[in-house]
Amino acid sequence: MYSHEVLEHFLHPRHVGTIEDPSGFGQAGGGERCPDDLAYIWIRVADGRIVEIRHKTLGCPVAIAASSVTCEMALGKTLAEALAITPEAVIAALGGVPERKANSTVAPKALRAAIMQALDRNGQAEQQDASTD
Amino acid sequence: MREPPILDAQSIRADFPILQRRVGDKPLIYFDNAATTHKPRQVLRTIETFYTTYNANVHRSPHTLGLEATELYEQAHENVARFIGAADAREIVFVRNSTEAINLVAYSLLSGENERLRLQEGDQVVVTVMEHHSDLVPWQRVCAQAGATLKVIDIRDDGTLDMEQLSAALTERTRLVCCAHGSNVLGTINPVQEIGRLAHQAGALFLVDGAQSVPHMPVDVKQIGCDFLAFSGHKMLAPMDIGVLYGKRELLQEMSPFLYGGEMVADVTLTGATWKEPPWKFEAGTANVCGGIALGGATDLRTGQHLEGAVDYLERISMAQVRAHERALTRHALQGLRDMERVRVYGPLDADRRGGILAFAVEGSDAHLVAHLLNDEGIAVRAGGLCAYPLADRLGVAGTVRASFYIYNTEDEVDRFLEVLEDIVRCRLL
Ligand SMILES: Cc1ncc(COP(=O)(O)O)c(C=O)c1O
Repeated sequence: MYSHEVLEHFLHPRHVGTIEDPSGFGQAGGGERCPDDLAYIWIRVADGRIVEIRHKTLGCPVAIAASSVTCEMALGKTLAEALAITPEAVIAALGGVPERKANSTVAPKALRAAIMQALDRNGQAEQQDASTD
Repeated sequence: MREPPILDAQSIRADFPILQRRVGDKPLIYFDNAATTHKPRQVLRTIETFYTTYNANVHRSPHTLGLEATELYEQAHENVARFIGAADAREIVFVRNSTEAINLVAYSLLSGENERLRLQEGDQVVVTVMEHHSDLVPWQRVCAQAGATLKVIDIRDDGTLDMEQLSAALTERTRLVCCAHGSNVLGTINPVQEIGRLAHQAGALFLVDGAQSVPHMPVDVKQIGCDFLAFSGHKMLAPMDIGVLYGKRELLQEMSPFLYGGEMVADVTLTGATWKEPPWKFEAGTANVCGGIALGGATDLRTGQHLEGAVDYLERISMAQVRAHERALTRHALQGLRDMERVRVYGPLDADRRGGILAFAVEGSDAHLVAHLLNDEGIAVRAGGLCAYPLADRLGVAGTVRASFYIYNTEDEVDRFLEVLEDIVRCRLL
């Protein structure tokens, strides 16, 4: 059965939406058993911290609740801290998920991709800054 | 028009206190009977009587209570033997549940002192894709340890077993065929008599997982001709933690024990031990004596009245009536589910070929979510992989919702379930 947390986040997902001109964007799909789960995550970074985060998620209640909780966990964290958010941590925050549903927590993967893009862009920007010097 | 009811469900319901419960502000509709069933007052009274009058350890304590508890416990074995048509009580081993019964056979065959009853490298064990994990995982483990191969028989598109594939799979190296009598997902009732005949023709032993059949229909081990039958008391009105392994007497005689320790030994020295006769050599340690009596029933030695066990309760109704009642409910529910848009039912569509178990999926929706929405209306069902993940994979479905019936369910409850489900499918899911 779904935990109280899963139902709560599924029925009232937090941080839904998109960010115009984000610092980073990432997406991730479901694994072997949940090919339909899909999460998009946008982040805005300032001073090395995630100051805004939005997601759009398609899929089962676990996928949607996981995106909601992942965003809650990531907001305000440094990029390094946010990179450390694992599916296991999200599942724990959700109070557990039913059998064979662990793969539906796709949001941490999408977040990781968004962070990598932000770091990448930041690196390129620094390089550009350096080359214009 | 409605058929007249086969059972007097209302008077049966009065025996089950839990059915008066409400879930939130809704009356409970309990459709999770394949997971476990409720217990009637008669069985609860037997449990109380045991602990208030007879509680003692069996086969060891030389005092009145110990002797009386032993007598009741042995009677319970006899009653269970009669219930499944076994030749005698020595063929009835009380275990915790079906899972332990199957593990008993598996580990006994793995470590058998008797070569004839030991799995050898290159041997084959045959199971089906519709097995519950309990009748699959032990064989995976034991085959891996013995160097034996595990052959899995597929189903046909209609959810019945592929008998041709089974027949072709049997070789002279096949030592054992294991098969669920009733599938806990598809509801399919397998032709165990025919499977047993094929297994024996190939010189193999035949184990029937009766967890979903013994509670629901007449099952006679002599008629089936199986070597082993496993089932769980908690799925047939008895408490949890009491189950049964039936084994043919000659086999139990020759097989090695599964658990070792007290109670199961005839003699022990510092260097070794010998075993009691079956069934006791397979009942190591203190047994669930009360559970056994609550399953099989026994005579109240102090009043001469009968302490009713689950088996007595079912026999009073008659297993043929139990089956007929569930078949009528299943037919009714099947009709309603088949008419519902976006709902897909798994397993045979003919109620004569299936038990009272209906697993279905709602297209584009999540099984756990449907179960939650049903629960909001007081309807208890199961959802997910149903302890048969390989079967879910075979069906290509992430999870199903399962409604399963028993003697105290009514056609009105099925109607309410169909009405709520229809509303969920139409209005409450995307
Ligand atoms: C077909 C089948 N076999 C075995 C089992 C295992 O029963 P238990 O959990 O009582 O050991 C079940 C229970 O769900 C079942 O449905």
